[in-house]
Amino acid sequence: MNKTSKRVLSTVMTGLLAVSLAACGSTNNGNKESKGAAADPSSPAAETSVASPTSKDKVTITFQNIYPDPTDPKYKMLRKVVSQYEAEHTNVKVELDSLNTDQQKLKFKTQAASKEMPDITIVNPAAQMQPFVDADLFAPLNEMVEQNGLKGTFTEGILDYYTFNGNLYALPDGNNIALIYYNKSLFEKAGAKVPTTFEEMIDAVKTLKAKGITPIAIGEKDSWTGSFLFMNVLLRTNGGPGFLKDVVDGKRTFEDPAFTQAVDAFQSLVQAGAFQEGATSFDYNAGENLFKTGKAAMYFMGSWATGGIETSDVSKDGNVGVFKFPTVGGKGDPNQFMLAPGSAFAVSKSSKHLAETLDFLNYFMVNYPKEMFEQKGAIGLAQTVEGDFKAAGYSDMAMEVMNMFKDVKGGDLAFDNTMNPGTAQVHLSSIQNLFVAKKDSAAVAKEHQKGYEENKQ
Amino acid sequence: MKVLKVSGWTIAAFVLPCLLLYVCLVFLPIIVSVYNGMLQWNGIGTSKFIGLANFTKMFTDDPVFWPAVGRTFLLAGFSMLVQLPLALFVAILISRYVRRTSFLVSSYFLPVILSVAVIGQLWKTIYNPASMGGMINQILVKLGLDSWTHSWLTEPKIAIYAIIIVGLWQYLGYHILIQFTGIQNIPADIYEAAKIDGAEGFKADRYITLPLIVPIFKISVVLSFIGSLQSFDLIMVMTGGGPAHATDVIASVMYNMSFLSMKYGYGSAIASFLVVVCLLATVIINFLFNRLDKRFS
Repeated sequence: MNKTSKRVLSTVMTGLLAVSLAACGSTNNGNKESKGAAADPSSPAAETSVASPTSKDKVTITFQNIYPDPTDPKYKMLRKVVSQYEAEHTNVKVELDSLNTDQQKLKFKTQAASKEMPDITIVNPAAQMQPFVDADLFAPLNEMVEQNGLKGTFTEGILDYYTFNGNLYALPDGNNIALIYYNKSLFEKAGAKVPTTFEEMIDAVKTLKAKGITPIAIGEKDSWTGSFLFMNVLLRTNGGPGFLKDVVDGKRTFEDPAFTQAVDAFQSLVQAGAFQEGATSFDYNAGENLFKTGKAAMYFMGSWATGGIETSDVSKDGNVGVFKFPTVGGKGDPNQFMLAPGSAFAVSKSSKHLAETLDFLNYFMVNYPKEMFEQKGAIGLAQTVEGDFKAAGYSDMAMEVMNMFKDVKGGDLAFDNTMNPGTAQVHLSSIQNLFVAKKDSAAVAKEHQKGYEENKQ
Repeated sequence: MKVLKVSGWTIAAFVLPCLLLYVCLVFLPIIVSVYNGMLQWNGIGTSKFIGLANFTKMFTDDPVFWPAVGRTFLLAGFSMLVQLPLALFVAILISRYVRRTSFLVSSYFLPVILSVAVIGQLWKTIYNPASMGGMINQILVKLGLDSWTHSWLTEPKIAIYAIIIVGLWQYLGYHILIQFTGIQNIPADIYEAAKIDGAEGFKADRYITLPLIVPIFKISVVLSFIGSLQSFDLIMVMTGGGPAHATDVIASVMYNMSFLSMKYGYGSAIASFLVVVCLLATVIINFLFNRLDKRFS
């Protein structure tokens, strides 16, 4: 290169640099902007001084959450607790980034990949948060939960799902079990009775179907819904929890009879016409709405759905009842449930205001059960709640669900909370396929086993 | 160069910013994708270089990949063989028989400006089973054709065609607009001269419109082909690739692999494949049309 071209090139590069710096500068907070635009190489150093936890400068905490729905009790609770905290700590501002579950999952993965995480984010338990923990993205919360007696508020054992190598990385917003909601008036109309065994359930399905009533609503476009139900069948045919753990430990394979029996039982349900037509094109909300609008007689879901069903039209005059998932072929114990430890709050390790963030989260979680109780959303929390539910106006159905929690004698986690994401996807699409095509259970088992071995690390 | 009376370096200097931008925005991501395709990586943790293993698995041992490629080309095929000729036909009819064309053309164009999410939801309700108020099935039942009713979006053999029809419907107006504009740009005196020579109606179309519309038609073909290869949004909204991969196309497999199965490396390998197919397709289409151009001129 000759001299002129070098000069030209350097001018161009400087120009580009200036443009890119100016672009970066605009994302910073207002008062910093002039510095950023000046392209002063020392400006990053000036910024770090703000990060020291003792400083009384204004601090902004980004709180990514999955409560964007204003009708959800959690929406109101979140805003109330945040404004309380801000009133008590005038130097802290909490910025909410409220997204739908799927959007949040995607956004967080992208943010994690580029190491630009919000201070607080949402993760799912066990196997689903494993990759993030392995990548060392979260700050341990061991010391933080000891403050203000926060640890004692959690149900025993629930924090294990968020603990890796002795370090606690997230605090759950709930602890749910799977159950079946049913529409009493539709059952009455068809003359069906509430099933106590899987075989009776299939009879009820046929009776309802004969009267032109959709027996079970499901949102199988979101394939975890069908998997959740299938795993409950497996929990029964296996005679108890721990099938997937046995597979992971190498004691059994998916070709085990417990698994193929579960596939057969599940298929008999599908073949009896249990689910609405075109179930695989209904997403989670559309599926749940079928039940909420009284168009389907039963709905299998985690207890988190209680609040939504309680406030829907179908639930008027105590029309909705609940029952435990029945035994299958005489096997299993109805008091063993599909367990769903809730999505959980994790703190980014690289947070600029780690001390403030931990302090805020502690405050938030201590107040969480109280506020949720007031907002009538305290069913299925991971923390103990004090208060008289009946007197506070919770419905009979909600009380029934709550009593079910007292019967819980262990259970299994959902498939995607137990297995790695690759295997989970193979499983989800394999189960989804059962909704549209009859398949030999041995072939389904083989498909699972192959998917599991390919994705084993 | 001599004509411009400026040195090559000056030209280079003026081209450079744009070139840099282009390289950064287009070529770097492609190269990075190809490199990522050689990693075993979940997108967030540590990665391991595994050479071409992802590509070998994709081409030889993935039960989902090739059917998805097949469906992608099915989409492209329908688009080229059904949508474009139909669009051309409608464009010719409009330009010949309709006085005030703007209303008709805009109505055909309307679906293009609607969001895909809206279109997906709309057609989902149209395709619903009769018991859920699906329009098509209800009409069939009313006509006494109960045996013709289907659960359009959930029967694995039909679902992909149901989606193709929506895609064709949505972009028909787009291609009508392009080709209609092309026809309008053909000078009227050519038709008048042809009329004197006795070429009217379809004869005029055969010998004047078709040859002169070729360059415009090429734009339509490239757009619809590349568009079909990249189709993703409609499928995500309507079926999410299900039931059990029955409506998966290349882009949806790529998405599922990268973000749901968390195999970012494998997803990148699929992405690289898609890029190569798109480039190849553009080259081939250009080559074919250049020959066609020569034949007519």
